[in-house]
Amino acid sequence: MTIDVQTWVKVAAFTGGGLAMGLGAIGAAVGEGHTAAQANIAISRTPDMSGDIFKSMLVGQAVAESASIFALVIAMILLFTDYASSYIEISVVLSAGICMGLGAIGSGIGSGYPAGAACVGIARQPAMSGRLMTNMLIGSAVCQTPAIFSLVTSFIILFTDFSGRPINPTWAAIVGAGLASGFGGIGSGLGGGLVAETSCDGIARQPETVTPVTNVMLLGQAVTQTTAIYGLLVSFILMFKTFEATSALAPAAALLSAGICMGIGAIGPGIGEGFTARSAVDGIARNMNATAELTRIMLVGQAVAESTGIYSLVIALILIFVV
Amino acid sequence: MGELGRIHQLIFPLGGHQVSLNIEAIIMTWIVIAILLLFGYLAARKHGRVPRPMQIVGELFVAQFFGLAEDALDKKRAEKYGPLICALFMFLVLSNWLGIIPHLEEPTKDLNTPLSLGLMGFIIAHYAGIRSKGFKAYASEYFQPMFFMMPLNLIGELAKIVSISFRLFGNIMGGSIIILVVSYLTYSVVIPPLLNAFFGLFVGTIQAFVFTMLTVVYISVQVK
Repeated sequence: MTIDVQTWVKVAAFTGGGLAMGLGAIGAAVGEGHTAAQANIAISRTPDMSGDIFKSMLVGQAVAESASIFALVIAMILLFTDYASSYIEISVVLSAGICMGLGAIGSGIGSGYPAGAACVGIARQPAMSGRLMTNMLIGSAVCQTPAIFSLVTSFIILFTDFSGRPINPTWAAIVGAGLASGFGGIGSGLGGGLVAETSCDGIARQPETVTPVTNVMLLGQAVTQTTAIYGLLVSFILMFKTFEATSALAPAAALLSAGICMGIGAIGPGIGEGFTARSAVDGIARNMNATAELTRIMLVGQAVAESTGIYSLVIALILIFVV
Repeated sequence: MGELGRIHQLIFPLGGHQVSLNIEAIIMTWIVIAILLLFGYLAARKHGRVPRPMQIVGELFVAQFFGLAEDALDKKRAEKYGPLICALFMFLVLSNWLGIIPHLEEPTKDLNTPLSLGLMGFIIAHYAGIRSKGFKAYASEYFQPMFFMMPLNLIGELAKIVSISFRLFGNIMGGSIIILVVSYLTYSVVIPPLLNAFFGLFVGTIQAFVFTMLTVVYISVQVK
């Protein structure tokens, strides 16, 4: 039996679709389970508020689920689109699937946290249920950003015309681009969730701190996402730069490792900066007068934690442009 | 689906070079500017002790963002940078909302818009830093904690421009791609309006606020 290019592209598309949905299902499920668990605890504590808690659980779960819905969209497109039969398409469909699948993990888990904290918060402070819901929605929506970045990367990979480019280094660039955005989203999604969780918790404990807590939460989450943005940047460079044709394997390996380097290098800083911002938000909720000082220290601490992400970025750029 | 990620460009030769203009982003930006000018005119016209609806909205923006600037900077600097911060937010939020109107596109969907605004914030922050600390103290910060860290500190600073602009661009672009694809898959029934409300109004407002906050913080980190 001989297998032609057409068949290989189909095989890759099915594999990519499977990976997109399989990996993409992990995060949202964990996050939603956590939310439901917290909602149960909350209802056991304040059964009178069960209606509000139930509502906020469902809304929070719906937001957490959107990460895996993105993965579903990509998987559907991979399964039902006809692709040109060329070798480059194999890496295109595989990379798009892996990118979206990995990228949905962090955001899914992350946006489950604020929803859970909001449920417990409503049980503790029923009068704040409206503000808690708003804060949770903002926090969860910002958590989705890394998943949205992966989605953008997947779509651009799928719909860019790579046919005019040389096959040899380009296949590696495409796979590298997918891995950079995919892995890069895991840490930031998780970290952003931690920040949002503490902010919901803090608002429930000290309702008058709601404005600084929400502001610093947004700031902390935004800085936490920086490494995911580096991943997106490396993906963009890999996708849009035209590389010279070559028969050697070394340039391709360099492009592939640039993507892996940036992607995996972004996981740690994302989670670490999430820890920093979480404690800062917690501190502000306890002592609002120290907001300015806490924000400053948080930003400095995050910048230091981010330096390892910047090392990854430097190495990735050297791999792309110098090696 | 064919229009995904396509940019309408006007390309013309000028002195031996091909000059390309992203015509759509330019037109949409001017629409936003026109709406903002109209809003400013309506808000400031006939202002009185008993405010009219437009005046209330205008005062709300000004009070909110001056307060934000005052928290992050001090009172004197807040008066200086407050108008910039307020205008930045109003421009961004209107830009992000523009996409929910059919046939109009968000100017922030084009990377050039967030990138130039990020560059603007970066330059203003560093100018403010040099003004308040003096050039020597400003430059010596790059050699902290060790002199050989200079290149990495420099890259870290430059990466701020990338992160602030790609964050906005990625979110708005992602939202518009999702809306386009889902509209195509569902034949524009039921779901797309909800997605427009979520990505256009909700995420658009949050991201505009995040961009504004980060610009304020970049300034405040430099001046302190």
